[in-house]
Amino acid sequence: MRETRREFTGTSTYVVDPELAKIVNVSIALEMPLLLKGEPGTGKTLLAYAVAENLGLPLIVLNVKSSMKAIEALYQYDTLTRLNDSRFGDSGRDVSNIRNYIRMGKIGQAFTSDFRVVLLIDEIDKADSDFQDDLLDVLDQMSFDLIEIDETIRAKNRPVVIVTSNAKKDLSDPFLGRCNFHHIAFPSPEFMRRIVEAHFPEVENRVADACIETFYRLRSLSHIEKKPATRELINWIRALRLDPTFQVRLLERGKELPFLGILFKKSADYLQAQQAPVAVR
Amino acid sequence: MFVEFFYDLRKAGMPISPTAFLRLQKVLYMGLVGGLDDFYVVARTLMVKSERYFDVYDRVFAKYFHGLEREDEFEKELEATLRALLEEWLRDPKEIAEMLGIDPDSLPKLSPEELVRYFLERLREQTERHDGGNRWIGTGGTSPVGHSGFHPGGMRVGGGSGGKSAVKVALERRYRDYTQDSRLTMSQVGEALRRLKHLVPVGPRDQVNVKETIRETVKNAGEIEIVFDPRLRDRLKVILLIDNGGWSMDPYVEVVQTLFNYARAQFKDLKIFFYHNCIYERVWEDPQRLYKPFPVVEFSRMDPESRLIFVGDAAMAPEELEHPRGCIYYNERQTKPGIDQLRFLAHSFRHSAWFNPMVRYAPDFSYGPYTTQRIATLFRMFALSLEGLERAGTHLLSKN
Repeated sequence: MRETRREFTGTSTYVVDPELAKIVNVSIALEMPLLLKGEPGTGKTLLAYAVAENLGLPLIVLNVKSSMKAIEALYQYDTLTRLNDSRFGDSGRDVSNIRNYIRMGKIGQAFTSDFRVVLLIDEIDKADSDFQDDLLDVLDQMSFDLIEIDETIRAKNRPVVIVTSNAKKDLSDPFLGRCNFHHIAFPSPEFMRRIVEAHFPEVENRVADACIETFYRLRSLSHIEKKPATRELINWIRALRLDPTFQVRLLERGKELPFLGILFKKSADYLQAQQAPVAVR
Repeated sequence: MFVEFFYDLRKAGMPISPTAFLRLQKVLYMGLVGGLDDFYVVARTLMVKSERYFDVYDRVFAKYFHGLEREDEFEKELEATLRALLEEWLRDPKEIAEMLGIDPDSLPKLSPEELVRYFLERLREQTERHDGGNRWIGTGGTSPVGHSGFHPGGMRVGGGSGGKSAVKVALERRYRDYTQDSRLTMSQVGEALRRLKHLVPVGPRDQVNVKETIRETVKNAGEIEIVFDPRLRDRLKVILLIDNGGWSMDPYVEVVQTLFNYARAQFKDLKIFFYHNCIYERVWEDPQRLYKPFPVVEFSRMDPESRLIFVGDAAMAPEELEHPRGCIYYNERQTKPGIDQLRFLAHSFRHSAWFNPMVRYAPDFSYGPYTTQRIATLFRMFALSLEGLERAGTHLLSKN
């Protein structure tokens, strides 16, 4: 597949560090799923969107739910409609052809697509570990069986698979063995600056500095259960910029910490942040 | 290529499969690695499957590609170690004293600075005597400091590494905070106990039962008869008994609180009681153990399918457990020894577990205080650690 060997380099709003870009490119070249972990809000999911945009491939998202069975992600056999059709026979579908009642799930769609796609399996840790185990061979062989018609669906074009997980716990070993792994570390302040600039190209230096510095100080408070991440910072800056009464002066002096609720979502964290001394200078 | 590197990693305790190593060879062969920096990233993504091993990887990488680590890096490492040591010292002077071979009584006389100097000297001896002595600190598990898993500096910030050599990056050890010893957090508890579910069909019938639908439809001479089933819902009942009295449980307040917070958020049907050291005629619904007594006999009226979970060190004087009047509170009415009450509880509920924060790793509790051993014959005991929680979760859901 020499023609798809375009390198992933990030997009206008997704700043990617060279390390991660290399990992993505190696995974694409090896045609292996890439498993991403990291704090919530550090851009795991967004990476898939960025890869799709950057490489010009369609994106198919499988949002994993807690009760989800692997088979649902592959395909579904709609018995009820078939039963209904066989009774009333007015749908125009051929009841004797099971194929008419098989609907592809997200993974099935990715496999049967005529183009190469990016397949995002988001938050795989939400489902039981059975879910991972059932997907093992599917992702390894890039094929699965339709039991009802005894047919194998093979990926026409091996999709670029990106799997995200929020869990602190590791996924099952056999699953890990079939993935490349990366843990997105929390960005350094310098790198965060670049991310902020990518999102707000016209932001004033002084505002960006004050926000980022305050943000990192708030993050470093001890005993915070849910630390604010990149997502929260971006939303916070967006809110501050929309607020006509916001004065960067007050933020620098730590006099005022507006919209703390955007950064801290747990009430205990919120209260602690409120009392924290966070003057920038 | 790099076979030795592979074995170094494995020797450092990293579970790397040969398949992963071969995959690395494939990448090298494909010409995807343009230098040492690339190699650092690519080898890691292919072979290391958990951020908890990133730090070990960094150390092995630095050693393999750099020979011995530079002295100033070593010093930096020391500094962090020392800070951690100080914390530890403030918390448990005796243990540290033993570790350093100082007389515990002379310890309070040493100022923190003196202690640090003393420690440094000891450490230098150590490094000179063994080669590759920085491992003495680095491996974490064996040094007095590594045990604590405590990072006074808070989480270090990882992230971009623009322009630095791979060895330098590896030496930065950005992933130190992700190593395995870190403290239990609520989300970890959640992960471990996620399996604790008791699924029973309840609620509105809104799920189609295909098999029954077909059967009923056929019975109905082809007139469609759709059969609905209720969904499976979690109906796990949990009774949590927490030992919150006395100084012996004090060091574990934080971890117990984490467990407690999780339990409250997670289990819909949760009853929490408090006791001190052992169970007698009554337990308490309020943490102060003052206002809301609850008679232990009442437990027999609860659903026997409830999961009974104790949290406590199970360490007490033998008479507190076995004497019919052994309770340390003189005003506590008591008719039978605590062990009998515990036996009564163990027999009232089919599923029970005892979390003991005192022992961190031990899979069995065949040693330890006499009372712990006795109680362990009635309840399966588990360490109050991530692993212990996970094992307990499996145990509590087992069929028998």
